This record gives sequence, structure tokens and C-alpha cells, in this order.
Amino acid sequence: MMNCEEFELLGLDMDRVDAEPQEAAAAVQHAKACARCNAMLESWREVKGDLRLLRESTRLDSAPARVEMRLKQELRTRREARVPRSTVVVASWALAAAAVLVASVGWLQTHHKAGPPVVSSSNAGMIGNTSQKASNGDGAEMLLADYDSASFTQLPGSLPSASGYESILEVRMQRGALERFGLPVDPDRASEFVDVDFLVGEDGQPQAVRLHQDLQMATETQ
Amino acid sequence: MKILDEKPEALLKRAVRGDEQAFLTLYQRHQSALYRYALRMTGSAWAAEEVVQEVFLVLIREPEKYQVERGELGAFLYGVARNRVMKHLERTPRELSLDVMNADGSAWNEPEDPLTPMMIAEKRERIEQVREAVLGLPAEFREAVVLCELEEMSYEEAASACGCPIGTIRSRLHRGRALLLAKLELLRDAPRRASAGAK
Repeated sequence: MMNCEEFELLGLDMDRVDAEPQEAAAAVQHAKACARCNAMLESWREVKGDLRLLRESTRLDSAPARVEMRLKQELRTRREARVPRSTVVVASWALAAAAVLVASVGWLQTHHKAGPPVVSSSNAGMIGNTSQKASNGDGAEMLLADYDSASFTQLPGSLPSASGYESILEVRMQRGALERFGLPVDPDRASEFVDVDFLVGEDGQPQAVRLHQDLQMATETQ
Repeated sequence: MKILDEKPEALLKRAVRGDEQAFLTLYQRHQSALYRYALRMTGSAWAAEEVVQEVFLVLIREPEKYQVERGELGAFLYGVARNRVMKHLERTPRELSLDVMNADGSAWNEPEDPLTPMMIAEKRERIEQVREAVLGLPAEFREAVVLCELEEMSYEEAASACGCPIGTIRSRLHRGRALLLAKLELLRDAPRRASAGAK
């Protein structure tokens, strides 16, 4: 049996959906027996009725449409802002990846250059000299090939170097000047300017000469 | 699966990615209850509108604040709304609008009712009295009454929305009811006492 104190605490819950059935039954019993608590219950039920009126009068209340409009606007703004941001992120990653790739290639090339020159000993033996460029770059490959094809002509009085540190000196000069290097020259064309490649040794002295095709043909003819 | 049948978490994920339809579905599910709660707590249509807007802005701007494992989305939204309402009440503790207004600020109209004008007037007066009495309760008791009596939440739901134990909600509701009864008796007896004194 519930007393008045317990009824004040729990009795007014008896009409609730989630009320404990045992508590509700005890509250009903107490209200029947206690006039004061019964009066309180009646008052509360009256207030409950008023609360229900208030609830029903505001049942359809909802936020005005302008709130929805503002929120939709905010959503759209954020969505539009998100697209360029994602593009920036993708672009940043692409740039970073490209930078890493370039750095890797650069490092590999540097590492490769730091190693010993890659020249076959057969070539070195055959031509009697090798070039540092021959093992490194495109120009060097060309030199080696040209040398292999004997387009360089050993100058009289010079010996093939075995140091492998020759370089090519490209000069434009009068054809007649080639005589100084012991090459035959047509006197009628001695004043013509020709392009000549000299293979210069480590000591700075020219060791071989390569005439450009037209001149080569001219000299061969002579 | 229809969008209306989707779980709140799935809808929220889509909304965060910018799916307007998903966001509107969530909004329509919750805005009305949140608006009524804020309106009943603040007594101001303007404040309730602000609260609802702020709650959903939080959902748009900081969706990570909602964590599924900590409860349902509805409870989370109530929690955000509650914080905003409490801040509003701290700023303007006695800003109680007693005007009966619709959400858009227009005058409230009595729904179609087969009652005599006298009965309609009496009903409206009772609603006004109970509205005034609820708004006059201290915020924590008012909240319990609003959630448990007006929004008809279970104790568990109300406790989840308020972030407190069920026992606290029951205790607040008990005291809120007692105060509400006292206030309404005072409001209703005052005219009687006044008329009795005039005699």
C-alpha cells in the first residue's frame, strides 16, 4: 500500500504509458483511500487536460519555411566550395608526386654519374682513346660512334691517348689553316670557312680532327 | 530503398556529401519537434526559429559531432537544441512572449471547433494560462514538463535528450508538476479571489 509521500512522488505517473503497472495500481488504491491525494490527482488530471489542449493547439507548429531555405542555401554553398577544394587537393597531390618523381630521377642520374665510366675495353683498345663523355651522355655516345666509324683522323705526329679524358672542340676556321695540322688543302679553296671538330687531349693539344661531311668529301677527293 | 526508409546515419552521410534531398528528409523528420520544444522552452517564435536553424547548421558544418555509438540522431539534435535554448535563456531569462502566435509570426487562429464562442474563449484562456504557467517554471523543471508532458517522451527518451539519468528527469518532473499545479491554482484563483473581494 502506497503512503501519501510515495503518492506525491509516483502517483501522478499512473496515467503515463510507461508507468509501472504495480505502482499505478497502488496509486489508484491510495487515491481511493486518501481524500487529499485524490484531490491532488484530480487537480493534476485537470492540468493534464489543459496541457493536452496546449499540445493540440501547437501540434502543427513547425519552423517557418525561411529556415529551410537558409539551410538549403548553406548546404549548396558548402557543396560548391567543396568542389574546387577537392580539385586543389588532387592538384597538390599530383604536383607532389611529380616532384618526387623528378627528384628520384635526378638522384638516380647523379648516382649513375658518380660511378665508373662505362666504356667497353674493346672500344678503348681499338681506338686507343676513350672519352669521359663517351660513357655519360648523348654527345659522348655520338663521339664514340663517330670515332668508331673513323670520322676522326689522327693528326700527324700525335699518338692516340689512353687517358680517356679527351674533349671535342668545335671551331670554324679557314680551310687553309688545316695545312698546319698536316692535312692536304686545295689552294683554290683555302680561303673558305669550314667547320671542324678537334679531339683535344688532356694536355690541351689536338690529337685528331673530324671534318664535316662536305669538307671530308673534298679532302678525300684531293 | 526509398529515401524515407533510410536510416538517419545513412541520410546524414549523404547529406554531408551535399545530397540536398537526404538533408531535407532529415530536416523534415526532426524540425517540427525541435521547433515546438524550443518554442515551449523560450516562449518566443523568433528564438525557436533561431534554435532550429542553429541545430541544423551544426549538422551541416560539424557532422562529426554526431557519433552513432553515443545514441540516436534525434537525441543528439535535442541535445544541441537544448544547449542553444539554455544559452538563450541565460541571455534573456525573462523574455517570455505570451502572445499566441503562429510560427510565421501571424496571429494564432482557433482551429475549426464546434464550440460556442463562450466555450472557445474559455478554452483559449485555459491554454493561455497553462502556457504562461509552463513558461514561468524554472528552466530545468520546464524542460522536464515540456519533454515528458507536452512532447510525450518516455523518461528514457527525455533523459537521453537532456543527457542526465532517468531518476533526475523523474525528480525534475515531479517538482515541475507541483510548481505547475501551484501556479495554475494561483492564476485561476486570483480572479475568483478578486471577484469574491469585490463582493
